[in-house]
Amino acid sequence: MSAPDFYFAINATARHILEEYGKDVLIDYWRSLGREYYRGRIVQWREGGAAVIAEDWQQYFLREPNAVVEAAVDGEIVELDIRTCPAIKHLRDSGRVILDCFCEHCDHTCGAMAEAAGYRFERAGGMGSCRQRFVPITHKTMGAI
Amino acid sequence: MLGCQDFCGYYDWTFHYLRRKFGQEAVHKFWIQAIALDSQSHYAAAGLERGLAGLYDTWVKTGVEEKCDWTFTLDEAKNVLRLDMRECPSKGFLLKNDRNADEDYCDHCIGWIDPALQSIGAEVASHEHNHCGQCWWEMRMKDRPHESLFVDVDIRKDIRWQRGFLDRWREGVALPVLARQAPTDPCDVLRDWFSGTDQLTVLGRGPSALDSWTIGRIGDAVIVTDPTYATHDVYEGEPLGVLIGDRSTQLEAVSERFNKTDPDHRPLLMHMFLPGCPMIDFVSVGLPRPVPILPLLIRHGLYTHQSGLPYPTTGVFALMLAVALSKHITVAGIDLYKHPSGRVYNGEVATYKFTWPNWHSEACETTHISAALTKAGKSVRVHPRLERLLRDA
Repeated sequence: MSAPDFYFAINATARHILEEYGKDVLIDYWRSLGREYYRGRIVQWREGGAAVIAEDWQQYFLREPNAVVEAAVDGEIVELDIRTCPAIKHLRDSGRVILDCFCEHCDHTCGAMAEAAGYRFERAGGMGSCRQRFVPITHKTMGAI
Repeated sequence: MLGCQDFCGYYDWTFHYLRRKFGQEAVHKFWIQAIALDSQSHYAAAGLERGLAGLYDTWVKTGVEEKCDWTFTLDEAKNVLRLDMRECPSKGFLLKNDRNADEDYCDHCIGWIDPALQSIGAEVASHEHNHCGQCWWEMRMKDRPHESLFVDVDIRKDIRWQRGFLDRWREGVALPVLARQAPTDPCDVLRDWFSGTDQLTVLGRGPSALDSWTIGRIGDAVIVTDPTYATHDVYEGEPLGVLIGDRSTQLEAVSERFNKTDPDHRPLLMHMFLPGCPMIDFVSVGLPRPVPILPLLIRHGLYTHQSGLPYPTTGVFALMLAVALSKHITVAGIDLYKHPSGRVYNGEVATYKFTWPNWHSEACETTHISAALTKAGKSVRVHPRLERLLRDA
């Protein structure tokens, strides 16, 4: 299990970039991180499809302290039920001021990764628990989650 | 989500993002504002409350969570908090996962620790790191006398300390990379070393390094790789620089020649220090630690390390270095192992069949050579054989 204090740095990094350079740069940072740093995961997602994406996230969250997450595949769609977001939990438990747009890092980082792999990213909820979906770009819209 | 399990990987990438978008100063500002004063504000809070003892407790807690293999020693009577790091899990993550996005990941520690200490009236007295996961620190409160500690666990007594290249601080001030040169930044060391010439010849070890085209154009300032320096296979003279390869088998011969040479005529020894390769112990064979070239290549956008993918051969790295130094370049001896003689290297018997090892590839070579030549523009003379190979690639 990894050191949860790194969540402090994730939160602080976003705050710094937002305050120093503005929201557009913060979004570009998150999206570039997804495309560039996670290039290897994107290749695996593109080649393996929904089952691989779901398994990737299941394993990823298993290594995050105090995460409670279920990953499932419904047809071609991957659904993540994030009951306890480990980052928000640790930041709250530690009394840290959480950036208002903290949860948007998932929209942009996971969104950029999803797009590069042929999927669309959707999120409902946030600030502690949410539902996320990876929907094939060719797939018809299923409605709001 | 962005998790903590691979944080160190994209932390390194974040430094590079800020540096390429907003320049060197942006990274230092980030370490101070985001890391020292925000993310790690609990260090300053503990230090304000209880001085070095507060810092000690905070670091010990972090060490347990991050599974650090380190020893912290606190001696308040001597006003010193000492750290000896045997295996840094943070740098270790990058080495284990073959990551190297930014110029110098290890700089982030002094980048946030020094300003955090300054904010509570403390400071870094001394610090050294070898970029392989080993480092030591002495920290002190500014307002009291300080004495250094001599400890059995001093990481400098550990064989692992012999690897890598050192960055060093004394009294909070960075020391020069080379004893005989002032710069503290390896990029400046490289620029200074080669500043006496406008022309550089980059010699690979392929047969074209000794043909009539090359002989007629070779200049006084030459960069060779370690086997050439050790064996004189394609160059008899004294090179200005020697780039030691990532899997060198010639270190002892390099050391013998280097140490027999008058110090004023020795070449600058350089190395890539690639993260996925075993780190070489240069010190044990009697060599000074080479100067790293990746920071300069990364700064000039000439190299992006791709985890798990092939990387260029040492000769191609030498070419990229020459381009980063903005010289008029002559390049020969890089034949992509396709010389019509059937020989891979000069002096070897014809093999007619060359198999690329897993860590190199022809596509990687041509991509990097082409990008470097494009950046160099008209200031480079390329051996016609290599030019043809690139056209056909």
